[in-house]
Parts: sequence; C-alpha cells; structure tokens
Amino acid sequence: MSIFSSWRKWNRLLHRDLGYIAFGLTVIYAVSGFAVNHIADWNPNFNIENISGTFSPDLIPADASDSAIAAILLPQIGETEPLTSSFRPSPEEIQLFVDGNTISANLVTGEIDQKKVQKRWFLHVFNYLHLNHAKEMWTYVADIYAVVLVFLAISGLFMIKGPKGILGRGAWLTALGILLPLIFIFLYY
Amino acid sequence: MKKFILMTLSVMFIFSVQVQAQKKYGKEITLKDKTKISSILEKPAEFVGKKVLVEGLIVNVCENRGCWMELAGDKPYTKIKIKVKDGEIVFPMTEKGKKALVEGEVYKITWTKEERMEAAKEEAEENGTKPDFTGLTDSTWYQIKGLGAKINE
Repeated sequence: MSIFSSWRKWNRLLHRDLGYIAFGLTVIYAVSGFAVNHIADWNPNFNIENISGTFSPDLIPADASDSAIAAILLPQIGETEPLTSSFRPSPEEIQLFVDGNTISANLVTGEIDQKKVQKRWFLHVFNYLHLNHAKEMWTYVADIYAVVLVFLAISGLFMIKGPKGILGRGAWLTALGILLPLIFIFLYY
Repeated sequence: MKKFILMTLSVMFIFSVQVQAQKKYGKEITLKDKTKISSILEKPAEFVGKKVLVEGLIVNVCENRGCWMELAGDKPYTKIKIKVKDGEIVFPMTEKGKKALVEGEVYKITWTKEERMEAAKEEAEENGTKPDFTGLTDSTWYQIKGLGAKINE
C-alpha cells in the first residue's frame, strides 16, 4: 500500500468516526444557532405569557401582610402554586413570586399583571451549551469540537477522487462556499 | 467499546448533576463580609469603585439576555440593579423570587433625559409594554457590576 492510499484510508476513517461523534453536537449548535439568530424577534430560552386583569382593591384590608394579600389575590387569578416570596416596590404595589409566575398588583387601582415564564426545555439546554453558559469543562469540549469541525471540513475535501473531487466540481463548490461570507463581509462590514 | 461509551456517559451525567446543583454564576465570590444594600443606596458615592458583597431577593431579571437583575434592599421599597457583561453571566428568568448573593463593583451612571427616554423605550419593547416617560429628567444613579453570584434554590 502506497503512502498516498494509506493517507486516504486514514482520512476517510477519521472523517467517518469523528463525523459520528460530532453528529449530536452539530445538531445542538445548529438548532441553537437558528434560535439565537432570531433573538430580536423572540426569546429563545423562555416562553413568556403576559396576562393583565383587575381585582377589587376593597378586598385587601389596609394593614394586610404580604402573605395575607397573596392569600386573597392568588385564588382570584386561579394561581394554585404556593407563594415563595414577595416584594413591595412601593406602598401601593406588591410583587408576588410563585414557581413560574410573577404577579404584580397595584393595591390602589386594582390592576394585576401576571408574567408566566416557562423554559423552552430543549432550546434552553441547547442554548446553554451553545453559548457556553456551562463554562468549566464544557469550554474544552467545545474547543475540541471546533477543532474536529475544522478537521471534518478539510478532510471532507479529500473524500472523493476524480472529476467530482476537489480538483473538479468540488473546487467550484468550495470556492462558492468561501465566496458567500466574503460577499457579506464586503457588503456589511 | 460499548462499556467505554457507557462509562463515559455515566461520568458525564454525574458531573452534569453536580454542576446543576451548584447554581453559581461568574467568578468565585471572594469577599466574606456582606454590605447592606441600604448602606449603598444611602451613601452611594462612598462605594463607587469598591467591591461589595450584597444579598437580596431577586425581584426582576432581564427578559432577553439575562444581563441584569434587581435585588430587593433590606429596607422597604428599595432595590438595586446588578448589571453583568452580556454573555459572561446569564441570569435565568426563572430565578425571580429567589435569594441571591452577589459580588460586584459599585459604579455611577449619569444619563440625560433623552438617553433615559431611549432606554425606557427599549425596556418597554423588551417587556412588551408601553414606555413610561413620566418624571424622566437628567439623572445619576448607582448600580453594581456583577462579577460572581450564588443563587439559593
């Protein structure tokens, strides 16, 4: 076996096995990349529902404690989760925190707003990894993945010989792939 | 080969469970003595440029990027904003209503009326609400540049 064919054999073998390993990570990075690319249009991590309503301020006694106010207001809005904590931004306002919901009420006007927050489970986890919020060891996993991607890109160029390989049609398609970002750099940078 | 893959996955799972249980954000907290938020709010100029450790209930979190949160003060009707560098620390919205311990540096911000109007507009857009421009004038306020945090589960 010549050195050249041996090199090709190892190139194919590594491209294949590293490609298998990179599959899961590539899906995570691609899906998350799509989600965060549109961050101006939506929240890629949480589903947020804002609900506004009213209640009768007469229901609240003047000297009621936060927990007493919560005991009156939470059933009014159909909230069944227990109160975890509360905050008074001003004498007239109260914020009630329950798991997954923040209730802001104005005790004078009777306005009540709910902000229900739910994690977009898969996207939240994918974004957590993609944007490296995990830090620590994940930083090195992501670094290795980046190196593997570069290897897959380069080794992919030499997978096929002949007119459809890098010396034929492959050259044109590769040039197109390089030209595309260059056009945008020229236009916008 | 199968055993190796299973062992690797098991180690990764145990590691991931440990990471999730910690709930630490950013750098390690180095200060031991806490500063009351009320002390900072009463004489903020004295704290500018100083590193502080504060504790309080999380009453608000940036909806889009998790790049700030507000901690309730130890005195009624007070709160202070903790701002972090975008992407370096991300406070999840689900942490509202929990207690946080934050280390950071106090700094001063001075904005003109126009700058405050612009910020109110952006914040309203983020929150999907109408901007409230009432009472906006040239102003100076103080917040904390968050460096590290621990949030109680």
